[in-house]
Amino acid sequence: MNNNQKETKSNPKKGKTLPAEKSIKDAVLNIFKKALADNIVDAVLIPAKVPDTDAYSWILLQDESLFDIADPLPPVMNVQGGRALSSFSKNGELDLKIAALMRPCEVRAAVELLKLHQVDLDNVTLVSIDCPGAMPLRDYMNDPKKINDSFKKISEQWEISESLRPACQNCHRFSLMDGTGSDLHIGLLGENKKVTLISNSSTGRDVMDKLGFEPKDSLDKWKATKEKLVKEKSKKRESFLKEWQEKIKKTDGFFNELNKCINCHNCMNACPICYCQQCYFDSQTINFKPETYLQKSKEKGALRFPLNTLLFHVGRMSHMVLSCVACGACEDACPVSVPVGRLFSMVGDQTQKEFDYIPGLNREDALPLQDFKKDEFCEVETPNECEEKVTEEAK
Amino acid sequence: MNKKIGVYVCECGPNIPERIDIDKVIEELSSMDEVKTVKKHSLLCSNDGKKFLKEDIEKEELSHVVVAACSPKDHENTFMKVCEEAGVNPYLFQLVNIREQCAWMIPDKDEATSKAIKYIKAGIQRVMFHDALKKKELEINVDVLVIGGGISGIEASLSLAGPNRKVYLVEKTDALGGMAGKLSRILPHQGTEMGIVKEKIEQVKNNEHIKVYTSSEVKEVRGFLGNFEAVIKSTQENEEGTEEEIKTGAVVLATGFDLFDLKENPVYGYSENENVVSALEFEDMIHSEKIELKNGKKPKSVALIHCAGRKEKGYCSKVCCMYNLKFAHYLKDNLPDVEVKELYMDLCLPHKQDQSYFDKLKDKGVEFIRMDELVKTKKSGDKIEVEYRNNDKKDKFSVDMVVTSPAMVPSKGTSHLAELMNLPLDESGFFKELHEMLNPVATPMEGVYITGCALGPRNIPESITQSHATSGKILSSLIPGRKVKPEVKVSEIKEDLCTGCQTCLSVCFYGAISYDAFKGVSVVNEAICRGCGSCVGSCPSGAIRSKHFTYYQLYLEVLEALR
Amino acid sequence: MKNQNVLVIGSGVAGMEASLILADAGLKVHLVEKDSLIGGQTIKFEEVYTNMECATCMLAPKQQEVLQHDNITLYLLSEVKKTEGSAGEFKVQIEKKARYVSLINCIGCAACFDPCPVSLDNEFEEGMSQKKAIAIACPGALPNVPAIDPENCVRLNGKKKDCNACEQACGFGAIDFTEKNETINLEVGAVIVATGFDQFDVSGLAQFGYGKHPNVYTAMEFERLYAQNGPTEGKLTLREERPIKSAGIIHCIGREEKGYCSGVCCMYSMKFAHFIKDKSPDAKIHEFHTDLCVPGKSHQKFYEELSKKIDFIRYEDIEVKGKNGSLEINFTSNNGKKNAVKSDMVILSPAMIPSTGTEKLAKILGISQDSMGFFSTKDQNLSPIDSEKEGIFVIGCAEGPKDIPDSVSQAEAAAGRVLSLLQ
Repeated sequence: MNNNQKETKSNPKKGKTLPAEKSIKDAVLNIFKKALADNIVDAVLIPAKVPDTDAYSWILLQDESLFDIADPLPPVMNVQGGRALSSFSKNGELDLKIAALMRPCEVRAAVELLKLHQVDLDNVTLVSIDCPGAMPLRDYMNDPKKINDSFKKISEQWEISESLRPACQNCHRFSLMDGTGSDLHIGLLGENKKVTLISNSSTGRDVMDKLGFEPKDSLDKWKATKEKLVKEKSKKRESFLKEWQEKIKKTDGFFNELNKCINCHNCMNACPICYCQQCYFDSQTINFKPETYLQKSKEKGALRFPLNTLLFHVGRMSHMVLSCVACGACEDACPVSVPVGRLFSMVGDQTQKEFDYIPGLNREDALPLQDFKKDEFCEVETPNECEEKVTEEAK
Repeated sequence: MNKKIGVYVCECGPNIPERIDIDKVIEELSSMDEVKTVKKHSLLCSNDGKKFLKEDIEKEELSHVVVAACSPKDHENTFMKVCEEAGVNPYLFQLVNIREQCAWMIPDKDEATSKAIKYIKAGIQRVMFHDALKKKELEINVDVLVIGGGISGIEASLSLAGPNRKVYLVEKTDALGGMAGKLSRILPHQGTEMGIVKEKIEQVKNNEHIKVYTSSEVKEVRGFLGNFEAVIKSTQENEEGTEEEIKTGAVVLATGFDLFDLKENPVYGYSENENVVSALEFEDMIHSEKIELKNGKKPKSVALIHCAGRKEKGYCSKVCCMYNLKFAHYLKDNLPDVEVKELYMDLCLPHKQDQSYFDKLKDKGVEFIRMDELVKTKKSGDKIEVEYRNNDKKDKFSVDMVVTSPAMVPSKGTSHLAELMNLPLDESGFFKELHEMLNPVATPMEGVYITGCALGPRNIPESITQSHATSGKILSSLIPGRKVKPEVKVSEIKEDLCTGCQTCLSVCFYGAISYDAFKGVSVVNEAICRGCGSCVGSCPSGAIRSKHFTYYQLYLEVLEALR
Repeated sequence: MKNQNVLVIGSGVAGMEASLILADAGLKVHLVEKDSLIGGQTIKFEEVYTNMECATCMLAPKQQEVLQHDNITLYLLSEVKKTEGSAGEFKVQIEKKARYVSLINCIGCAACFDPCPVSLDNEFEEGMSQKKAIAIACPGALPNVPAIDPENCVRLNGKKKDCNACEQACGFGAIDFTEKNETINLEVGAVIVATGFDQFDVSGLAQFGYGKHPNVYTAMEFERLYAQNGPTEGKLTLREERPIKSAGIIHCIGREEKGYCSGVCCMYSMKFAHFIKDKSPDAKIHEFHTDLCVPGKSHQKFYEELSKKIDFIRYEDIEVKGKNGSLEINFTSNNGKKNAVKSDMVILSPAMIPSTGTEKLAKILGISQDSMGFFSTKDQNLSPIDSEKEGIFVIGCAEGPKDIPDSVSQAEAAAGRVLSLLQ
């Protein structure tokens, strides 16, 4: 299950613009219809609306007729795409060639899972798409029609609306990033009634060629609109990070946000990155005799039960926050509205900066905890020499 | 199992009772449920003490033993042996340090006593959860695989091969001898003529216990001390694809060196000037007894330039000064009236007989010129102009011929094998020895040794000595009939908890963890595992535990100590 | 070689390594050491280059292994007096001097030191501190058992026959004034000589002022000065207890006189500078050298890093003069210019010479010395550790100046040669 492809960073200069007369949705689905029909892929992993319900689900589509219920950008993210992909591609190699259409954060999660040997991407063409965001699951379940309408308007205008999930409001990586993440990208920005297909790897280019789509069309409009929107959203993100950094400056601040937690572990289950067979906090390792707990309780004054409610979050953070792609699936899943997604996103931002690491950006970037550079954390290890180095580099 | 714990407090002479109220300690401990007996003794590690301990353990029918005394570094093994003799599994034992960690550093008697009590109680809590680990015995293979057929590989093979031990010597070129075989002569004051290399090669060929594979490469090596498996592949054209699998107990890497490419820096003028030659090319000239310029004439002046590549590579190659003296001697002895200049940075003469060799040269009229830096080597009519800088002043001279000594760099074989076997390389790309001072020929992989220039620049006697050193280590550990008893306090992975993310694999320094693709889990090779515990800490799901340092044991010990 | 016994002379780094490899293989090793402790010269160092590892911490596990190994019999305060025979059947006579303290009963509590009325210069500390007539060489010495110096102990030398201060203080009955010297006869199959080195005597070179000016130190004195278990417990001060603001380190002392380069002094001199700079970052340090000998893989880098912090000067002539309580180093650098540098402290890095007793031992073993006084070996190229007599090997600095890794390699090689003769 190794990523045998050694992709080099591509800087796509041109793409293939496709008409979207009827609707953006149709234009996008047509690409996949063609890929399936022409046997370029054997199956397509894509979200779909479950018939006769308001629910959405991932399906592995091999029957063309199912495109009728498929939806490239549902108003909600029911299950993180990375998790959907790893649920069936973990044990062994994929025989089928599949194309997976996912939101950029889902693609990034898939790339992190690749590094953790939890997905096999050898026969997968990862397709990302410009994402306007998604709506909170609970809001949608309460009033599907209202939220659907709201989402339509938001996605047409590319608004940074407060009705979007908090994770989506603060997301600046909603489009194609300069790295080796996805193989293909579908650009929705910049052009009216058109979609742009962009290849981002040799696999992606291969598929485009097989589809007969030669990348000759300009990407300037798409790039310009994208850059403008990235700037706006980055500003929003910075202010979010600042606000939350202030909020949790004190340790109490941090735990205060987690006080409502009911220890259901939904956040962990929904998280695409959490991959352990059995979570450490569910294991027997930390179960002790009652007298041990009574003694601890006596020493501390009081103990909160069930135990490790708050420690669970800290522990989960220390295990996966370097790979956190800030998708917000955890916050969507929390039954008591703990802002867990925002907390993890903020801590993730700071810790990832320490290692100069962006999760999901490049397939070949090694996970920081598995990679050892000769000069790391010189501020801690050799502070005297580090000062010199920093000033030298500054010169 | 009904736990019957015996606690023995050693007085260690006046050391402990001076600072710790032993009777109070015994009183506190006797009230614990799990403790069957608490006794004191004046000196448990003495012959009397050990006898007392053994007899008491047997009498009280103990299941676990705790001794409160000195540092485990001093006597853990001693008391573990006593337990074993008394019929208690030696791992159901804990030595609590109340001497160095309590008596010797706390001046207040009450404080020291209460700390000692705490520590012993913590040790009791811990020992109750020890597992009765058993040492395994593994059969071993005593043969040796030597990779590299230069003088180091040859010497290792000759000193290892014997009626009970086969040596497989693999050489990637079509002939044995390596770089030493290309030399015209060894330094004369160091004894013998080059014929000796040929002699050694003959000895190897005639040795029935050494199997030589030339034009061959090692494709794969897996296993551990006493149990290696390797695949040797022939690289000859008509034999492409022939592979042989062999089993050995140890591997010796003798992949030698290459030379710094003089073309890398135009300052050496190597490609532009046909009469600038490398030291190796000059050796060839001496071999064929033809010291000539490209136009067939004999040179009237020769410059020997040291340290080519020293600044670029960042280290001194140690041997070049001496072989340049050899060149100077040769030139003066064989070419009439030749002018010889040696241009050097520092004279590296670290062996006891080196300086006298240098002194003799002065009598032959060789000019020694010190430089800080070589500036240029360029054509100047028929001659070659050499410009250098010394003490901020530039100077130059012209000669007919220039012999440049390139730095020794790691061979391609070294980097290839390092990758193949997951062995660390140092900054310059040579193999990294296990310990710079005390373990110069070993690697972190037990059973894999390195010798010769694969480790770094060195001369022939040093390489030979290192080859003998590797055979010393191998002959001492791989003895026919002896079994290997691997470390028992190792890590183990619970298969059903492992998700195969291979994080543990990436942190294991000893290469003791491998990935089972079929099951999708990582597996610890207990024979290689040294019990360092890095993997235990790295696993997010806690699927790995250390056999003698489980979370439970440590947590309870600490909890008790902090009560 | 049927005889499974081996004699190793000298318990320094090389002797210990050879002993351990042979003992692990199942041979019976007889390790003879003339001093009262094991570890040789290396245990006098605080740090070793280039990773600046603590020397005593590095060696302690080896020392413990040697002391506890079932197959190693250790003879302390012992010397080889006679040998005869040949490879496979050497007959060796060892004289073991009395220690007067039992290695079994003594637990190292040090209660006997204070009461002893006799103080003398401590040779281990290069005379920079005193010890009693019953003493261990330094804190941390192994075995952790003192020895009584019979020449200075007033009871043993007859000056005060009824003195039993130490005996009274001992709670374990470990002191035995009736112990006698012993003669031990052994039959061994091979002999490994690992008698190490001594320091060239710089007092004969008047131009450096050693002995005349108090703050001129030899390398060994400086090693003890900055050792944590040394006379000042690692505090860097001059002899009159002033802190060090400047130091000059002079390489190659004795190189011309002895006619060889000792190969390790450049590196240990740099180690000294590195250490002083670490402890006193503002100290001004000059290192004076002729050729820079940096033959190891990591050596040049060490030098380059250090040259950013201190001054290296290539010299042709050099001398040390005292002026108003401080020292002045007058030198001619290699561009011909004369110059001078003032220094609080001057450290001289002397050549390595064969240890005392080499000449005597060479005669006893029937092997010769080379022109420099080290033991001769048969063929420098092909058997650099074989002496001219079969079955006798010479390793470590007894063979010639070298650093620790090379000494260890030679020790392992000698063990290899012995084991291979057995195969």
